[in-house]
Amino acid sequence: MNKKASYIFKKMRFFKEREVYSNGLSSLNSQGREWENFYRNRWQHDKVVRTTHGVNCTGSCSWNVFVKEGIITWEMQATDYPTTGPDMPEYEPRGCPRGASFSWYTYSPLRVKHPYIRGILLEFWRKALSKSDSPIEAWASIVEDPKKSRAYKKARGKGGFVRASWSELNELIAAQTLYTSKKYGPDRVIGFTPIPAMSMVSYASGARFISLMGGSMLSFYDWYADLPPASPQMWGEQTDVPESGDWFNAGYIIMWGSNVPMTRTPDAHFMTEARYKGTKVISISPDYAESVKFADEWLGVDPGSDGALAQAMTHVILKEFYIDNQTEYFYEYAKKYTDLPFLMTLKQDGDMFIIDRFLRASDLDSSVTNPEWKTVVLDKISGKLVIPNGSIGHRWEHKAKWNLNSIDENGKEFDPEMTMLGQEDEMVIVKLPYFDNKQRMVLERSVPVKRIKVGKKIYYVTMVFDVMLANYGVKRSEKDIGYPENYEDKAPYTPSWQEEFTRISPQQVVKIAREFAQNAIDTKGRSMIIMGAGINHWFHSDINYRTILNLVVLTGCEGVSGGGWAHYVGQEKLRPFEGWSTVAFAKDWSPAPRLQNGTSFFYFATDQFRYEETPMSNLISPTVEKARYEHPADYNVMSARLGWSASYPQFNKNTFTLTKEAKESGASTDKEIVKYVAKELKEKKVHFAIEDPDAPDNFPRTLFVWRANLIAASGKGHEYFLKHLLGTQQGGVLSNDSKELNSTIEVKWEGEAPEGKLDLLVNLEFRMSGTALYSDIVLPAATWYEKDDMSSTDMHPFIHPFNPAITPPWEAKADWDIFKNISKTVSSMAEKYLPDVQTDIVASPMMHDTPGEMAQPFGHIKDWSKGEVDAIPGKTMPNLTVVERDYTQIYKKYSSLGPLARENPIGANGVNFSVKEEYDALKHLIGIQNEGIAKNMPNLDNAKNVVNAMLSLSSASNGKVAQKAWAVEAEKTGLDIGDIEKTKEEEHFTHESITVQPRESISTPVFTGHVKNGGRYTPFNNNIDLLMPFRTLTGRQQFFMDHEMMLEYGEGFPVYKPTIATQPFTEIDNVPVETGKTINLKYLTPHGKWNIHSMYFDSERMLTLFRGGPTVWINNEDADSINVKDNDWIEVYNRRGVVTARAVVSHKMQKGSTYMYHAQDRTINTPVSGITKESGGTHNSPTSIFLKPTHLIGGYAQFSYGFNYYGPTGHQRDARVFIRKLRKAVWHED
Amino acid sequence: MDYSGQFAWVIFPYMMIVLTIVGHVYRYNTDQMGWTTKSSELLEKKDLRLGSMLFHYGFLFVIGGHIIGLFIPRSMVTAAGISNELYHEIAISTGAIAGIVTLIGLWILTKRRFTNKRIIATSSFTDKLILILLLAEILLGIYNTLFHNLIFGDYYYRETISPWFRGLFVFAPNAKLMANVPFAFKLHILLAFVIFGLWPFTRLVHVWSFPIAYIRRTRMIYRRRCGDILDK
Repeated sequence: MNKKASYIFKKMRFFKEREVYSNGLSSLNSQGREWENFYRNRWQHDKVVRTTHGVNCTGSCSWNVFVKEGIITWEMQATDYPTTGPDMPEYEPRGCPRGASFSWYTYSPLRVKHPYIRGILLEFWRKALSKSDSPIEAWASIVEDPKKSRAYKKARGKGGFVRASWSELNELIAAQTLYTSKKYGPDRVIGFTPIPAMSMVSYASGARFISLMGGSMLSFYDWYADLPPASPQMWGEQTDVPESGDWFNAGYIIMWGSNVPMTRTPDAHFMTEARYKGTKVISISPDYAESVKFADEWLGVDPGSDGALAQAMTHVILKEFYIDNQTEYFYEYAKKYTDLPFLMTLKQDGDMFIIDRFLRASDLDSSVTNPEWKTVVLDKISGKLVIPNGSIGHRWEHKAKWNLNSIDENGKEFDPEMTMLGQEDEMVIVKLPYFDNKQRMVLERSVPVKRIKVGKKIYYVTMVFDVMLANYGVKRSEKDIGYPENYEDKAPYTPSWQEEFTRISPQQVVKIAREFAQNAIDTKGRSMIIMGAGINHWFHSDINYRTILNLVVLTGCEGVSGGGWAHYVGQEKLRPFEGWSTVAFAKDWSPAPRLQNGTSFFYFATDQFRYEETPMSNLISPTVEKARYEHPADYNVMSARLGWSASYPQFNKNTFTLTKEAKESGASTDKEIVKYVAKELKEKKVHFAIEDPDAPDNFPRTLFVWRANLIAASGKGHEYFLKHLLGTQQGGVLSNDSKELNSTIEVKWEGEAPEGKLDLLVNLEFRMSGTALYSDIVLPAATWYEKDDMSSTDMHPFIHPFNPAITPPWEAKADWDIFKNISKTVSSMAEKYLPDVQTDIVASPMMHDTPGEMAQPFGHIKDWSKGEVDAIPGKTMPNLTVVERDYTQIYKKYSSLGPLARENPIGANGVNFSVKEEYDALKHLIGIQNEGIAKNMPNLDNAKNVVNAMLSLSSASNGKVAQKAWAVEAEKTGLDIGDIEKTKEEEHFTHESITVQPRESISTPVFTGHVKNGGRYTPFNNNIDLLMPFRTLTGRQQFFMDHEMMLEYGEGFPVYKPTIATQPFTEIDNVPVETGKTINLKYLTPHGKWNIHSMYFDSERMLTLFRGGPTVWINNEDADSINVKDNDWIEVYNRRGVVTARAVVSHKMQKGSTYMYHAQDRTINTPVSGITKESGGTHNSPTSIFLKPTHLIGGYAQFSYGFNYYGPTGHQRDARVFIRKLRKAVWHED
Repeated sequence: MDYSGQFAWVIFPYMMIVLTIVGHVYRYNTDQMGWTTKSSELLEKKDLRLGSMLFHYGFLFVIGGHIIGLFIPRSMVTAAGISNELYHEIAISTGAIAGIVTLIGLWILTKRRFTNKRIIATSSFTDKLILILLLAEILLGIYNTLFHNLIFGDYYYRETISPWFRGLFVFAPNAKLMANVPFAFKLHILLAFVIFGLWPFTRLVHVWSFPIAYIRRTRMIYRRRCGDILDK
């Protein structure tokens, strides 16, 4: 029989005798196995390309993509990571099933293949263009016509896309942005894209375009509520964590609100492997999560009560390891690296005292420089008050005294006293703020104090440590009053006290706390807490985090390999930072980009401030009579005025007009223009736009969104986005204007809130996501397998390249090229319609890691607008910088590396150095531009060149730059650290070299850790081992925060704060009519298994794996109580909106709370809600933003602004919802 | 010679038989991946469950009835002691019941295919065509069994149709036997041959993949990687 026998012939062989054996159990069939070739062919390939996934998953895994005849066939994990060395598990292979299925998107029906625009807008545009020669006038004729403008805005989200050509849409976008800049000012052009490290060049593309325009970039880290503000508060550092390999070095691991196996799949093995060498693993999680399976003990806390648990554990550690036993290791660590021995003052309040602030050199009438910024300890050796090196005052005086050597201001050695007890002048009662689920009250507890007389003034001083013990109720002597007697006493913060809030038994708390601390002693600091979004997305996430971080700092674990916190930052760690930030924010052309915190922006842009229900007086410290303001929006205005945080749109007047007026009134130099503008502000002739966010002049007008699903996935307050920002016809909001619940003073609040503030929403996407569907224009972006780029993470030390496996199919383009083409169109249009150079004035806050962080001493609030202080830019009000904008040159600037990169020092986190040599070398590496203003400058025409430019200019990827960075730090600190990375001097990463094999990045002082002897990365070991100070007020890790506003909210010391007790509806809302049984539950939106990170919810594979549509998890008893069975359709709703989904009824859920896993888009299988009669929302429909005022503090040491660094977090966990059965699933598509 | 009769009862049936044999071989050899029922259970369950059950079980009885009626000569039946009257009563009653059950099933399936959005979206032309043809065929069959017999009196097809049909298998079909067969019966038969001819080009091919071999197969089956070569 020949090989090509037909199938039917082969089938005939069925009748042939066959060999049967094994007593008739087996037989040999002669039908052949050719059918297998079908599958073999499926996996054939002719090309293998190394690339990665540009997602926010913390993974950054290296992948090989296989291509056959120009078609992507599959992908597989790369396995060639450099070894981690002996006795250590390897990083290879990395990846997860979600990433392994990404190539589905390339050819999926969801792919955006062509440029799209909504038909109605295109018709308007074409008609307008035919009537006018000027595209700018054409745009004006549409947007200034209320009828037309309303018509196309209303149509958003209602389909109606048509194809258009790239050139036509580029022209529309250029006309719109130029019109907006001309009419309202360039700061009304806004860009949003998250997580630069997930694809740095793509991030940089739009950010560079917008920065060159003078527009505002929005932050994402705080907006996503992944920023832990506790980190800048305690350490002065955004976030820095150990790489996952360091988990393996731990002796004790607590996974706290972090579902490691699910959300950090490629790294989880280090945790499981550590168990085999005896590491104990604890999981703290309200549900029976995957992480619980791996744990030796499970603490099933009540959601949001983690702070109470941590407070009790801290109580145990302080009592047993600081007082009952004086653990030497802990004391030595605390003395050297924390603020516990620092002196603080108490303020008399009646016959008692309240917490005041750190004692400063200035209080002692010292003649040192920066005296208000130097803190004080009591020296054991001399018995005198001394000023130790390393505080922030030393940092900016540049006398090489910014270090943690035990040397004081006068060069003498000192040894700080930890406590005043035993040498006190008297015991006084301190009023300490206390909060729990039912009440706010004052704890009255005794503290030993010394009286210090300076001139006529008497200071009552004690150590931070003493107040800390009082706060925690750790009794030391019989003289102590107001303290709990023992663990059984239910007074704050004993193990018995916490049970009421957490449901965890006191015995278990004591046991875990003891084990955690004892392991730290036995291993010299290898106790670790892996912290997750589960505990971070709360309104009080920062104070909750502080209570937990106590544990690792008090036990000497922070900055130690195998110890400390491990927050889930992931791809917020962008390794080649200096080069990237230079390119991304166009600092090579202009020194003052507009970098706005996202949460504040959306709070006002989407009018969520009009629905605020909780007066701030409900949240303040019981030691304070009333809040400074009742409404968070007012705090935000103050923050903008005082230069604390960024605020764009900037003023209520076009900045081009403003500078023109300045010039007309005689200002000729930049300085005079600044002076003029400051005066206008002071005299209230010009206002900050934030003071009247609903005036049309102050609207944000243009929004570019790329690499993000802003509207559907991260838009907390989704329905407010639709209503106010976009003005769609959707009627999802169930709450009414809430002025009568909580009104503003500083913010103008009149009439109806506007609808449709935004004129143009442009989305660059490769899939039809929720955001794409609500956009005016959708531009087809290249996927991660179709472009050159870079990715890095904190989970491992490698920088991974993207390489195009195929060229972008259909009409798709890489982000770098899309924005390049837009800038080209803008420039050529500007030649005719905006040819003159415009003068812009940028207001920017006092920045962290610059001398500006010493702007406002003692953290006392002095408002110039109230006449409390003079208005001085950069001191009491924002910095004002004059910037020239030439719109005809945007394209040339975009595609070359500008001269400021060579002239100005570049850097990050206060480490700045010149890269002149690297800039010059770059010209030879990537070539130069030949024409115009960019002549002889490195050519950034394509993404690959951008990658190489970023790598060349950064200390993590260029050994020579790293040398410079360490040299700068050595000089500043006076420490012998210049040669830390001497051996890596010759290393220089290029796109090509990291494509050959993953390379470990170089240690740099831009981050807080260095790798020792081939070990794993540990944050803050620069501080612990090299004695570089923390970037805080004291230069140490701070338990005490003395800013006036921190005290106003009772957060001077770590306290437990419960979740905000809001209810689904207030009395002024449109409460839906009851149709049956409902249940009131806590509504949590953690990360899910089938819809997050490396793969989106809408992919066929993920939908096939689980229920094929949106789901909400609910406890079985809760479900029974409303007659809901598994897989029933339900409605989840509160005053903010409604979402419909299927119920997943499961015992794994705790009673009283419900999960809707994050980022389930409304594009797939979302039935119509019975309440709104609209297609039923997203997981963010029942959420909204609450601003926490303390996140708006600025101008004060570590409480100073940084983009993605400090700012209000867009938390959404504190919501409650009603759930009821949806009787019938109706679909709008039918 | 009646040419139209000759064509209808000799040439046409053989054409359809050849077409169905060649067609099946062709389809099987060239469309292995398409040899399927094209199940639409994923898209719609409720109607399918009822319709498919009624149709398939009903149809098995209908086929059984046809086999008895067409293949077994009248003499054999009589020899077995079954009178004409009894035979007819049984045939009409069981045939009618089976036919109606099949009809109901098929009606549900057809309605589902033409009204359910999801099914419409996944249906090919032949999917719809074959349902219409089957529906027509069964309606005719029921009409013949029930109404024709009731209206015009019993028609003894075992004298005419059955011998003609058996003739096809020995290559000696006698078209004359069919000359006076009632029109509805003729239509029923011709339509059947149309269906036979279309069979290989529709989802009906799934009939031949009924896993009957499962009954006697061994519990473990091995295949040789190069089975063909070693087989010689």
